[in-house]
Amino acid sequence: MPTLEKNKEKILGFWRRKKRMPSYGEIAELFGFKSKNAAYKIVRKLVDLGALAKDASGRIVPKSLATLFPVLGVVEAGWPSPAEEELLDTLTLDQFLIGNREATYILKVTGDSMIEAGIMPGDHVLVERGGEAKDGDIVIAEVDGAWTMKYFRKRGKQVMLVAANKKYNPIVPQEELRVAAIVKSSFRKY
Amino acid sequence: MENPPLSIHGFPRAIVHIDGDAFFASCEQARDPALKGRPVITGKERGIVASMSYEAKALGVTRAMRLFEVRKLCPDAVILPSDYETYSLLSKRFFSIVRRYTPDVEEYGIDECFADLTGLRRPLRMNYIEIARRIKEDLDKELGFTFSAGLAPNKVIAKLASKWKKPSGFTAIMARDIHLYLKDLPVEKVWGIGPQTAAYLQKLGAKTALSFARKDEDWVNAHFTKPSYEIWQELNGRSVLPLVTAEKTSYASIQKVKTFTPPSNDRKFVFAQLSKNIENATMKARRYKLAAKGAVVFIKTQDFRSAGMEVRLSRPTAFPNEIISAITPAFNKLFSSKLTYRQTGVVLLDLEEDTVAQLDLFGAAVKAEKMKRLYESVDELRKRYGKHTLYLGSSYYANQFAQHLGERGDIPERKETLFKGETKRRRLGIPVFLGEVR
Repeated sequence: MPTLEKNKEKILGFWRRKKRMPSYGEIAELFGFKSKNAAYKIVRKLVDLGALAKDASGRIVPKSLATLFPVLGVVEAGWPSPAEEELLDTLTLDQFLIGNREATYILKVTGDSMIEAGIMPGDHVLVERGGEAKDGDIVIAEVDGAWTMKYFRKRGKQVMLVAANKKYNPIVPQEELRVAAIVKSSFRKY
Repeated sequence: MENPPLSIHGFPRAIVHIDGDAFFASCEQARDPALKGRPVITGKERGIVASMSYEAKALGVTRAMRLFEVRKLCPDAVILPSDYETYSLLSKRFFSIVRRYTPDVEEYGIDECFADLTGLRRPLRMNYIEIARRIKEDLDKELGFTFSAGLAPNKVIAKLASKWKKPSGFTAIMARDIHLYLKDLPVEKVWGIGPQTAAYLQKLGAKTALSFARKDEDWVNAHFTKPSYEIWQELNGRSVLPLVTAEKTSYASIQKVKTFTPPSNDRKFVFAQLSKNIENATMKARRYKLAAKGAVVFIKTQDFRSAGMEVRLSRPTAFPNEIISAITPAFNKLFSSKLTYRQTGVVLLDLEEDTVAQLDLFGAAVKAEKMKRLYESVDELRKRYGKHTLYLGSSYYANQFAQHLGERGDIPERKETLFKGETKRRRLGIPVFLGEVR
């Protein structure tokens, strides 16, 4: 183990035993130094590495004692459980389903044209306005004054709207096709 | 030079004013493709036009026009009840999209805002015109209807620029080009110049905005007060009006007005409407911990004539019973049973923080303490069970029916369609397209 890692271990040991960070005097004692100045040098190295930090009054606080020392927020009493650590990186369902919040809208599905893509009548879809549709996206388009949901197909310059249901024929727009939004997710509440 | 510039600068500051084109009607058209290209009017529940689409504007429909006139003018107009929930959700989105570019945004009403872009050229690696254009494009694309934007060195010119070309316009006016835009502009079209100031300016020989801008400083200060002087400075390309970016935490006055249909000449009913206005206004005052020292009440007849009266209160208060008993004599003077009324309203004036309880001779302060506790419970109950679970006896007749009876009692589609798990008071905070997709 490199020396610095060992030093870190020693400080970590102190924290485990006493449930607090050592003072400079205690660090000197811990490493068998006579002067606090030597302790100060070690602390400075660990601060530079980002393992420790100093608070406003110059006292030492744990920052990220790297792999050895998972810190949740600032000083926690007791040993944090791995489960709590995982919580730091969770998303709410909102964050998971919604990308660009300002451009997202809800639609309720009534038809069966996307049934083979798993979108049933009664489902809800979250759609995003303003993006550029790519081949294979499920899109919301305006056809004859109503919204319709279809696969967006693009071969070269040819654009088509294709249903996920054999009952319906593909729609080849006569004029310019206006894609209103792209479907990002769908959900169903029982 | 015949028409020399007013300033030699480009954008000493960069202020953009953005305005939603026919905002409410556009929100509806963006929701429902069947409404695109058709004359759409909102305000069905009020009996008058609240907002009209450009198609309706082209047919001569104007704001506040009565709906039966609209039907005569364009029989195939689509008239919808206002869906304020959706409008406010989209309005919030409007402001947050602008805030992606700059934190300095002044929300000036539900459908317009000012934003300060000064100093953003380097961090965004674009010039001001590109930034403003990008904001407009984001808004158009993500909200599904168009906005008009005006970029200028200050608020007055920015406001003028956004109006210059509408709908979906973009106009950038550099300080050194201002004079070209002011040349033929009647002075009353300038933001902040009201009919009185405009009439006075015309008497003094300043008919166009440019002729006002070209007057010299001493002349302006000799004839006008500070607000007009500030406008004069901005017309000359300087920026003196700051953006008010802070969210509102206090109010100078609180106003609650409601129109009801059918109109009524029933004294008890009209008084109950006014009483309900007062209850709603005081509820808002208590929410912001304010108390009023005066109130103006007014009633409006069917032919839009209104009568009003101001009442002073002996002690600042935010309790409806106190205000209602104070205004009752005023109401009795205003009300005539020979007339039919369609609207009542109240304005709470001289609001101050509701902390100092002044002692008075008649022990009213002790009573006020009791009232305070009473209304804390009332507000708590309303918060939990809905705004109209508990109301004063004097508001009884106004709470018996929906605000509008008959055809105008329409409820917006969004309020009627509840998703599973939603309740009438709590709905998903995401706007709904027409709601159905085939």
